[in-house]
Amino acid sequence: MNTSQILHVPDKPPIPPHQQPTVNVLASVIEPKLANTIIRRLNQISPLEILRHVKRIQKKHVEEGKIKLLVILCVAGDGENESNNIPEGVQQLINSYQLSPFITKVCQYAATSKEDWEEQCKLWPTSFHPPTYNIDGIGGFIEEDSHSVFDFMQLTLKMARSGDGPIVNAAVIVDPSVNQIIASACDQTCSLYSSKAECCIRNCTKQPEVYGSHPDSSVVADHVNVSSDGSRDEPKQRHIGASCLNPWQWAAQQKLQTTSSSWHPLRHASIVAIESSATRDRRLFLSLGQDGDKSNGVYSIQSSSTSTTPTKRQKTDSTNAENGDKLDAHTEGLPSVSARPYLCTGYDIYLVWEPCAMCAMALVHQRIRRIFYAFLNPHAGALGSVHRLQGEKSLNHHYAVFRVVLPKEL
Amino acid sequence: MASPTEEQSPDDTLTYMELAIQQAKLALDCLEVPVGCVILEGGKVVAAGRNRTNETRNATRHAEMEAIDVLLEKWQQKDGLSQLEVAEKFSKCSLYVTCEPCIMCAAALSIVGVQEVYYGCTNDKFGGCGSILSLHSSSSIPSHIGDGVGSEVARPKGFKCTGGLMASEAVSLFRSFYEQGNPNAPKPHRPLLAPPDNALNNLNVKEE
Repeated sequence: MNTSQILHVPDKPPIPPHQQPTVNVLASVIEPKLANTIIRRLNQISPLEILRHVKRIQKKHVEEGKIKLLVILCVAGDGENESNNIPEGVQQLINSYQLSPFITKVCQYAATSKEDWEEQCKLWPTSFHPPTYNIDGIGGFIEEDSHSVFDFMQLTLKMARSGDGPIVNAAVIVDPSVNQIIASACDQTCSLYSSKAECCIRNCTKQPEVYGSHPDSSVVADHVNVSSDGSRDEPKQRHIGASCLNPWQWAAQQKLQTTSSSWHPLRHASIVAIESSATRDRRLFLSLGQDGDKSNGVYSIQSSSTSTTPTKRQKTDSTNAENGDKLDAHTEGLPSVSARPYLCTGYDIYLVWEPCAMCAMALVHQRIRRIFYAFLNPHAGALGSVHRLQGEKSLNHHYAVFRVVLPKEL
Repeated sequence: MASPTEEQSPDDTLTYMELAIQQAKLALDCLEVPVGCVILEGGKVVAAGRNRTNETRNATRHAEMEAIDVLLEKWQQKDGLSQLEVAEKFSKCSLYVTCEPCIMCAAALSIVGVQEVYYGCTNDKFGGCGSILSLHSSSSIPSHIGDGVGSEVARPKGFKCTGGLMASEAVSLFRSFYEQGNPNAPKPHRPLLAPPDNALNNLNVKEE
């Protein structure tokens, strides 16, 4: 367990520290005793708005314990003829203090890691503020949380190889606040795997009830104790049939008999797990006896109206609170109505493989908070490999993505 | 963007888009974000779909996914077709949808392998057919993907894509959706009736 790791998969492709983009600036050596005056003046006439992370002044040690002060005068253009671009105030400063400006490079963007920062300072000193995020885990996991992450990932891996057929992708949606499994599923794309698919369907429909009525982590613990499973060494020879790895493969499958019932090119594990969590949500939070008619839109109005109470309304829920009281009678013993999350807000999903674009976007739509996957998907992965949806700024929801490295992989 | 195939006159494409708009209106009537679509095979409408994300509490139930499921059900369960035969049929299908398919739907359309897609307004926040990603264009996929991977990995499939058909009608449906609001709600401080995020899914749309 010591070598298990949770790696954050960032919004932007990592840039090697020594290849960070730079910009040219005009700098000059100044007399130390003039430093205060000049800096004050420069901050007025030439503030470095776009280079806030760059230090205005640097101290260089020269021979015999002497120091030299260097100051950034202004941002310089790319052209050779830099004097054309110098603001008037800066030019006056240069003239009045007889400065000898020269062009040098500084890093264009603030460092996001200590390594980047150390590299930046070789060019010109910058400041570094370790990132603070509002999603737990990006800045690191406390030990207890990483253990849950590893346990849930083990469970997911176990599901992926539990059938007789090829190893498929598996998805487990978890409410991390109570370590409760909300839904789980394996790929259901191919009839080859139908025995596994059925097993997973059974799991999905069963688990919400099992865990729903015992929302304590001990129930989960029984299911995740797979590390001593002797079959861990065996799957190496098994064929891998994870849908997300090769979403277009289904169309080339000729060997299958038309008699076998269950195949669907889009029923990747994430999609099935989302569907399962939605079904659970409807069952837990909707009083079906009240308006069981799912065929018209009235259903959706009432489902959203009953999901809210005037006092404790989920911020993200819709706002028709008119008959919120009615539901209470029907939900005895069920999670309270006010606790109804909006879709999968606050939930994590564990996947064996990095999801394809379809699944990654489905998880945006369903408002998953964090995605943990064990293996990269080099040809079709949408969370770092081919696309990087977590870095698409225009999307209306952003999850944090982690790769979980376990000591002994599939 | 490709031009319509030869056998389809511009009149035909408008007729089909009109059917998609009708599906979007059905969604609107059911207080869903108004997106609708139809799928054509050989000049015949074989499936229709509309958004059901609120009703199902499943934000993946977009119009396109609904319509694809209709066809899979029909071809697989009723007609007993094999995967190969179903793939063959999808490759002759065109989809008409009122709003540019989102990244999820564009990926799904590529996976099932439709021949072409016509859409109304663009989807600047989520679009997978040119706005954010270009999943319809197989050439947009990095060259190492699908090349030299032999038979183990099937190549990503692109599809022809034409936008801007009846875009203003599509946009005006979105407007109606936000305007209809809920007259009974006490103090509306955000769009009503639909979960706001679903609503936002297609908020950032514009006519081409």
